[in-house]
Amino acid sequence: MEFFGKIGSSVEGGLAYVGALTSLAGRAAYFTFIGPFQGKPLRFQRAVSQAMEAGVRALPILSLITFFIGLILALQAAYELRRFGAISFVASAVALSMTRELGPLITAVIVIGRSGSAFAAELGTMRVSEEIDALETMAINPVSFLVAPKFIAMILMLPCLTIWANFMGILGGSLFGVAQADFTFPRYIIASLDALFMRDVVTGLIKSFMFGVTITAVGCLEGLNTTGGAEQVGRSTTRAVVMSIFLVILVDLVFTMLFYFLGEH
Amino acid sequence: MAPSVENLGVDESFDGPMISLRDLRVSYTGREILHGINFDVQRGETLVILGGSGSGKSTLLRTLVGLEKPTSGQVWIRGKNFSAISEVERDEIRKRLGMSFQGGALFGSMTVGENVALPLQEHTKLEPTTVEIMVRLKLDQVGLSGFEDFLPSQLSGGMKKRAAVARALAMDPEILFFDEPSAGLDPIIAAGIDQLILELKKAFHMTIIVVTHELASAFLIADRMVLINKGDVVALGTTEEMKTSKHPRVRQFLDRIPEPAVAQELDYLQMLTEPSSKSGEGRQGKSR
Amino acid sequence: MQIAARPATGGTILDITGDIDLAHSPAMRKALLQEIREKKTPKVFLNLEKVRYIDSSGIASLVEGLKASRDQGSRLILYGLSKTVREVMELSRLQKIFEIHDSEAQALAS
Repeated sequence: MEFFGKIGSSVEGGLAYVGALTSLAGRAAYFTFIGPFQGKPLRFQRAVSQAMEAGVRALPILSLITFFIGLILALQAAYELRRFGAISFVASAVALSMTRELGPLITAVIVIGRSGSAFAAELGTMRVSEEIDALETMAINPVSFLVAPKFIAMILMLPCLTIWANFMGILGGSLFGVAQADFTFPRYIIASLDALFMRDVVTGLIKSFMFGVTITAVGCLEGLNTTGGAEQVGRSTTRAVVMSIFLVILVDLVFTMLFYFLGEH
Repeated sequence: MAPSVENLGVDESFDGPMISLRDLRVSYTGREILHGINFDVQRGETLVILGGSGSGKSTLLRTLVGLEKPTSGQVWIRGKNFSAISEVERDEIRKRLGMSFQGGALFGSMTVGENVALPLQEHTKLEPTTVEIMVRLKLDQVGLSGFEDFLPSQLSGGMKKRAAVARALAMDPEILFFDEPSAGLDPIIAAGIDQLILELKKAFHMTIIVVTHELASAFLIADRMVLINKGDVVALGTTEEMKTSKHPRVRQFLDRIPEPAVAQELDYLQMLTEPSSKSGEGRQGKSR
Repeated sequence: MQIAARPATGGTILDITGDIDLAHSPAMRKALLQEIREKKTPKVFLNLEKVRYIDSSGIASLVEGLKASRDQGSRLILYGLSKTVREVMELSRLQKIFEIHDSEAQALAS
């Protein structure tokens, strides 16, 4: 019985956590979409600088990693495909798995490591040094000032990064294709593009949008909920990373299932 | 409708007490920190809140500026029940308040000048050139001329604190709150802050609330003092009344008599060997 | 706050009535800079007799005006400061930088 009790309370805790995330995202959405029409400033400048940090500065590492992932995918796929003499399908295998799944997911994981953790650390530090309190006493809403620009930056940048990641993954796959599977580079790219439907790209981008919301909500919530001293900031950061990865996978599962059953018709 | 800046100046039309506390109770994680506080602060008055560590004086200050919610009772600021009004109304009142935090609470990612300019940029339609001059005036008032392009991390503790005072002054507040303004400062700089408080009071007729345990500073700046102990008001009166008070707690605090040692050996033994209550509970009340 | 301009010997007098605070100092700044920069009035007299209160945004606007008049080689003269306004000036250590007179007669004679 105690076992079920524990499950019950952790389910309850989980729902409360998701509720808190939703509430934070909702308030940020209010300050982004409704606030500006009520005379509250939309902090576009802050969003741009966040987008630079979360998006543009992530490009080098993202490019490198997704290039390798594309190459790995090609190797793994070819291992099985060559037994059936179907090695030329390696291009479509890489293209599909990148755009539908690994492009959005790897991008999300890298952004969690770079930005989700940074959000938690930044807001956590501001919380313990009373900077958040200072904002409140100055009648500046912390969600509007700090959280909303991060949401704007992330939901714009994550799909962009994902498109780039898809491209780099296909590029990585082409290295194998050209070296081992008798493709020329243009033919490999054409084979990849032929394999893709608009639907594959769009479902990937929808997922990456949801990942952006999830990562920002978790990072900011963990940061804002930091209590105590500086040592707690580290703990919040770790929690933000672990929770983000878990929730991103969960969101991924939900949306993949959704697309699977919707795609039947 | 956009929050207006129409009435931001000193509004002499309100002549009631700037702050009234009515049976104010505040609990934190189930433990009551303040047990029914009552007092009024008049316009232009400087009230010093005295108390030892853990007395609840910091919680009282945080409640006054709306960072903690009362569990019961009311905080009235300029005739408005601070905990019962809408967010928009609360923000309108907050624009008239300035708060200087103990550690400064400057925004680490902004320069000192940007910190001071922030409330002005957020809440007024002043020209950038005007804001820049105001920032320099405020920094000059706290003795930080020429530091506007420094980051908080490049400043010493005392300088951070003075920059925080400059930021609190940015909007020319009607009520200014100080959390431990002179803690951790060298005597000369601490005296400078005291002087500034006196000048602000004189020039702007500001209402000033200071939480401190520095007695010398308290007697210099205060019109009235309130002594808080374990969440209760022990004594409230003018500096003169406090000096001559015969209340044992007041005498103990002002004459710096240490807490008497645990009298009964039996109690002491019991205290040492008592099974601990749930872990973590003891830590919560700390530093609140 | 209201501003009214009237001609005087050698320049213009700006009569200011009311509080110069965050909400109203931009209007005063505009009037002042217009008088100094655009109309290039050689002497601008600022009558503060009916000003009860000036905050630091008002002071900052006066400083901008003073700077503009120095750049133009013209003069900005203040008179009729109430005790409160004078104290705010002193707090900002500006009482010696501005040209301040007690009355209109003195200001005009200067």
